Formats: sequence, C-alpha cells, structure tokens
Amino acid sequence: MVALLKFSPRRPPPPPLSRSPLAVQGLTVAYGGEPVLREVDFVAPEAALVAVVGPNGAGKSTFLKAVLGLQPRLAGRISCYGHPVERQRRLIAYVPQRSSVDWDFPASALDVVAMGLYRRIGWCRPVGARHREQALACLAQVGMADFARRQIGQLSGGQQQRVFLARALAQDARLYLMDEPFAGVDAATERAIVEVLRSLRQRGRTVLCVHHDLHTAPDYFEHLLLLSGRVVAAGAMAEACTAAALEEAYGVRLPAGGATAVRAG
Amino acid sequence: MTAQLVDLLLLRAGYNSAVVVAGAAALGLAAGVVGSFVLLRRRVLVSDAIGHAALPGVALAFLAGLALTGSGRHFGLLLLGAAASGTLGVLLVQAIRDHTRLPEDSAIATVLSLFFSIGVVLLSHIQTLPAGGQAGLNALLLGSAATMSLDEARLVGGAALAVVAVCALLTKEFGLLCFDAGYAAALGWPVRRLDLMLSLLLLAVVAIGLKTVGLILIVALVALPPVAARCWTHRLGRMAALSGGFGALAAWLGAAVSSLWPRLPTGGLIVLVAGGLLMLSLLCGPARGLAAWWRSRPA
Repeated sequence: MVALLKFSPRRPPPPPLSRSPLAVQGLTVAYGGEPVLREVDFVAPEAALVAVVGPNGAGKSTFLKAVLGLQPRLAGRISCYGHPVERQRRLIAYVPQRSSVDWDFPASALDVVAMGLYRRIGWCRPVGARHREQALACLAQVGMADFARRQIGQLSGGQQQRVFLARALAQDARLYLMDEPFAGVDAATERAIVEVLRSLRQRGRTVLCVHHDLHTAPDYFEHLLLLSGRVVAAGAMAEACTAAALEEAYGVRLPAGGATAVRAG
Repeated sequence: MTAQLVDLLLLRAGYNSAVVVAGAAALGLAAGVVGSFVLLRRRVLVSDAIGHAALPGVALAFLAGLALTGSGRHFGLLLLGAAASGTLGVLLVQAIRDHTRLPEDSAIATVLSLFFSIGVVLLSHIQTLPAGGQAGLNALLLGSAATMSLDEARLVGGAALAVVAVCALLTKEFGLLCFDAGYAAALGWPVRRLDLMLSLLLLAVVAIGLKTVGLILIVALVALPPVAARCWTHRLGRMAALSGGFGALAAWLGAAVSSLWPRLPTGGLIVLVAGGLLMLSLLCGPARGLAAWWRSRPA
C-alpha cells in the first residue's frame, strides 16, 4: 500500500483558492487563435466598486465573459468566494451590454426583471405574485416602478439600462459584473446607477463594472483594473490610476485628471 | 355544400372527419405555440430546413416498409423516417455553422436543397415501382387531410398536444433563452440543452405535419401565426397562446375545406387561411401593424 502510494504520480496540491469575491490567476483568452487577454491576475476586494477600464479591444467585456463562463478560457483559474467560479453561479449577477438583446421582444419591464428570479423560482414553475412583488421592488430601487407594465421597446435607452440593473438586483447576488451600464445613458439614469452601486457596496457586495469614462471613474469607483490585452494596472484608484499607466494602456498621453481628482468614496 | 362545410367545421360530419379536422387543429396549435419561440429565437428557417431534409427519410421509410411488409404506407414508419433525416439535416446545419465560415442561412440553403434533391430522386424512383403509383407521396409534400386515417389523426393530435404541454411547462425558460441567451448562460441555465429541446419540439411538429400541411409548407404554419399574434400583444405568454389559436384556426378551416374538396391540397388551404389571419392582424392589431402605426404617428 505504502509502495503503491509512493509510486503513484503526485501532483503538487493546487494552492488554496482565495476567499475573496473574485480571484483570477493567469487567465488567457483567445478569439480564433488571436489572444485577447494574456496572463491576467486580479483579486477583487470585499465590498469594493471596481472600474474595469481600457481602450477599445482591451478585453474588458471578454474578461467579464470569461469570468461568467460565456467565453472559454485557454488557461487560468478563477475562483469566487473560495470556490471555482463554475460552482458559484448563483452568487454572481450579470448586467450585459444593452445592445446585446433585441428590445422589440414581447415583454414588459417587470417581465425582464423577473428573469433575475428564475433560478430561485426553478424549472417549469410560473412566476407567481410574490415574485412579481420582488421584481417590482427591484424596479423601485432604480426609480422605474412606474414603468413596470411598459413594453421594453417603448422605454428610453437609459430606462432599458435601469431595467437590466434591476434584473441583476433581483438575483440578490454577492458579486455583480456589469458591462458598460453607463454607456449612452441620461443624467437621471447615471445618478440612479451610482446610487445603486453605493448601496450595493454598503451591503458588502462587490461590483466589477466596465467603464469608458476616465473622468468619472475616480468619482464612482475606488478600485481600478486597467486592461490592455493584459493587466496594465490594478489596485486602489489613487495608486493605480497614474498618468504613466493610462499612457501605457491607451498609447497616448492623457490628462491624468483621474489620478489627481480622486475623492474619498 | 355550405351545410356540409358547417357540419365539418362543427365536427358534426361523422366521427372520422371530426377526428381528422380536430387532429389538424391540434397540429396548428402546436405549430403556432412552438413557432412563437422559434421566431423569437430567430430560427424560423430551421423549420424549412427540417421540412425539406425530412423528404429523403420519408422516401427511404416508404421503401423500407415496402420491402418488409409489401406496403410503404405505414404512417409511424414514415414519421420515424422524417424525424431521422430531419434531425440529420439540423445537425448538418449546426456543424456547418459551427465549423466553417459559412453563415447559418447559407448552411440552411445548402442542406435544404441537398436533402430535398435526394428526396426527389428517391420519390421519382418510387413512382416507377408497381406499388409506387398510388403511393400518394405527393400528398406528403403539400398535405392531404382527406387521405388521413383515424389512427393517423389521433397520433397527430396526441403528439401535438404533448408538444403544447412541454411548451407550456417551459414557457419561462424558453422566453429567457429567446430574449437573452447570454444572460441565461451566465446564470447557469443549460442554454444548449434548451436550444436542443426547442429544436426537438420543432422537429416533432414538422414530422407530424407531414400529411396535414406537408413538408414544404410547414414553415408557413410555424412562421405566420406568431407574426400575426405579435400584432395583438406585447406579452410573450399571450403571444404564444394567440399564435397557437391562429394556427389551430387556420389548420381547422383548411382541413375542413379540403375534406369537402379533396383535390385541393390541405397544406395550401391552411397556409392561405393563416396568411389571411396575418393580413387581418397587420391591418387591425393594436400592438403592431397599420393600426399601431396610425395611432403612434406624430399628430
């Protein structure tokens, strides 16, 4: 028995998975042979708002999709609260890009928000009155309670974005991944999203948010993941968001307003 | 003639024809309900591919039946043949889409025409056989409710109702799949298996529609009712139910009329009725179409 054990090929035990909301090690993703992300290492702190920033084609959305398992990864380990991410799906909420769906779909705002509850409702069971109440409460959190019965195609872009946000809130997750929720929205929506982000952080949730606007990033987020096919900078906004890092990621000199205008969250 | 038609429509024209008309209506119901999800998933043309791809299977099933029992017209065997080669066609479309640079519509066109030409060659071979002359396989292309037997109609009706029941159970899941498959996958829903389930239901509808609507026109019974239903409502559940209702109405009327005039192809009549319902919906529907456009135009 001892001899058998001795001769059995032993791999070194994998290092224990981090307990943090999201820990990514050596993530590499390719589209048709062309690597989009190389060797990404990132750890998201507890109760943090993280801006995922980078130029077009930097792999920001790909990063979120790889974490969610929507994009196969060539290499890398991803854990969520101490377990492989595949087993933690119910802890992760997702806000896809607004342009990823057909808003002409026959559904009301409430119908879409209720989709965030489907996992809890379970297979083959209808959406009940209790679930509709929960969905309505989530719509109210983004200031959209009055539009619950409206067909989604008749909502403005910002309102549609808020419906997606409410759907993610309905999941009642611990880690939120958002793909450009601020893209092309009106001021009211921007305020509503920021309010939701702050309340999520207050409740100890962690949010990773793909964000395009370098000027507002330091106002809304206190952590940064700066991507450009790899990790250019990561960490607390004040330290990571430097003019040098931005220049390295974007390839041009940018006014480093971000680095100086950090406000205490 | 009018009195006869009324009797047929009210299922009073004898047990046999009542069952045939009711079976057709159940098929229309199933096609309309499944069609709603297929339309929203943007897979309508897949039903056309299945229909055309089923033909060689039907012809081979006829030949197999002929060789084994001396008669090729075993409805169950023909259904199995249709389902088998329809499945093969869908798998081939998926393989082409996933492993080549061809887009899905080219893949569908390629598979559809390839399978159909094999089927046509087999059919013309069957026509030359002594037993093939009265095989009535042409009825399978365009539908012929008058030639349906009681058992066949019962089988069609039962299978159609089963398809509707599965759709009713999975309405929520199919709706999520059709609206936002990426989100569904992120939440851990088995998107590929749900797609497969929807394809299987579609396959079942095409196969049992063999004798009623025919293989060529089944795509219309899957596509027209949901488009018409979308004109009346903005809610998925209502759209699916209404679409099923339109499909059932079209199939019922078409089957009844062609029972009276057996020389008219049932499939063509059913699709004409469905087309009429679509025109009506486009003109009058409050959610889509002319009326909706008129109401929403800037004053």
